[in-house]
Amino acid sequence: MSATTESSPASPPGVVHDIGAAGIDLFLAGRELYGVFVRTLYYVARGRREKGAIVRQMYDIGNRSLFFVSITMGFIGMIILYQAGIEIKRVIPDYSLLGATYLELLVRDLAASLGGLMLATRVGAGIAAEIGSMVVTEQVDALRMCAADPIDFLVVPRFVASMVMTTVLVVWAGAVAFATGAVTANVAFDVPLRVFCNMSLIDWGDVLTGLAKCVAYGAAIPVVSGYCGLSTFGGSEGVGWAATRAVVNSSLAIIMLNALISTASLLAFGATGMTP
Amino acid sequence: MSASASESVSPAAGGGVAATAAAAGAALLGIAEAVGAMAVLFAKIVRTMARVPPVLDYHELRRNLHKMAVKSLSIVVITALFTGVIAVIQAAPIVKRYGAEGLLGWGAGFATLREVAPLLTALMVSGRVGANNTAELGTMVVTEQIDALRALAIDPVAFLVLPRFIAIVVTLVTMTLYADAVSLLGAAFAGLGLLQIEPRSFYNGLTGGLLNFGDVANGLAKSLVFGLVIALSSCHFGMSTTGGASGVGRSVNATVVASASGVFILDYFVSFLLG
Repeated sequence: MSATTESSPASPPGVVHDIGAAGIDLFLAGRELYGVFVRTLYYVARGRREKGAIVRQMYDIGNRSLFFVSITMGFIGMIILYQAGIEIKRVIPDYSLLGATYLELLVRDLAASLGGLMLATRVGAGIAAEIGSMVVTEQVDALRMCAADPIDFLVVPRFVASMVMTTVLVVWAGAVAFATGAVTANVAFDVPLRVFCNMSLIDWGDVLTGLAKCVAYGAAIPVVSGYCGLSTFGGSEGVGWAATRAVVNSSLAIIMLNALISTASLLAFGATGMTP
Repeated sequence: MSASASESVSPAAGGGVAATAAAAGAALLGIAEAVGAMAVLFAKIVRTMARVPPVLDYHELRRNLHKMAVKSLSIVVITALFTGVIAVIQAAPIVKRYGAEGLLGWGAGFATLREVAPLLTALMVSGRVGANNTAELGTMVVTEQIDALRALAIDPVAFLVLPRFIAIVVTLVTMTLYADAVSLLGAAFAGLGLLQIEPRSFYNGLTGGLLNFGDVANGLAKSLVFGLVIALSSCHFGMSTTGGASGVGRSVNATVVASASGVFILDYFVSFLLG
């Protein structure tokens, strides 16, 4: 980035220059991110075990996000059902498969992706802010002086805790969204609860896709935010900037992983759900 | 401020039910305090806006508009493109089940214009713009630049908060328009690639009469409300930062959490009101 600003007085930067600079930045960031990911995996297998570190992170990532995730997913469930109900009313006023279709969508995509976005917001910003303020107060340098790799010390416990707790929270989030959706359908469109709670459209492909998304997002959030936190520089402004980048980059990672996994599952289980 | 409320309650808690109740009460007080402070800030902003002669710093507004709107365009476009593709992938089995290929354009348009584009744009803008704004204001607070402004008899609300507030709201509304267009484009091509639905029939479904400008206006009205929430929460948490670098990090975290909760809660009520 500094190279970009230095070279600009000599030759006026054009569009190609900007795109090239952005591309190089993206490539370098991607390579560093990959390095963090590989080292995290290495230390998960070979690193030291600190007693209680993972449990503490699980409490921080999981229990303390519970309220936030429940509130947002509860409202999301109500919104989705309300909008879908209006939409269906305009075409075919038949609500018999509404609950089954909603449940299928929740299991396959919405619970994991929307819950993952919520977690990326809360957990990602938290991780980056915490690690970032350790970097600017030189605690991370102190770790390196003690021959302790900050990735082993800081990222790995968050990585393991996030993979477990994301899965747990997504299952909970799906349950909350389904419950509020069922109540909305009952109140706004008179769909009986017995008709709404219909699991006939769910098969193993849906469950596997949903679980794959949970694990992928749970792995992506701490790696991306840990990378953003570790690359903090400057004082308090740098910490804020790291938290911002963590939120944006983890959300982008989730959206891209979602497109990837959804496409893969459509190709692998292409025929699912087409037999009612 | 919210910390003092929770600290005064938690030592009294014994254990078990009492502790849980005390923690819940403290959390509730914290939320109420934040909402109240945002309402006070909003009243201040409105009062500053209505002042004669106008006190808006146009240079600061232009700088913020460029930094917030122009610089986040690429992220919004990428998000919208992927969202459109994902929407079609998820809708594909349902469309095939009912044999409703002609309705894909309408369904994607309905969902995108009314919900998906405003919501996801709000989430991305809250992450990029809201959090960044909090970090900037928070840094100014902890480095005592705000106190310096006050010492020079410059009102920080008029000089710093008002331009940012306007810039965030304008950014979100314009970005939602971009996201509408781009994600429908993504959906049209995903429909062609995955379901072999011609873009022409997608376009016909989109413009066939079931959708009108009301749906676009619905989404824009929502993004206006989301913009207010994001702007208020990011300015409030930025201005009430305490304690060094980790304080700035905590403020940013609080902003993104408050923005996301506020956006989803208000989305429900706005959807219900607009029908």
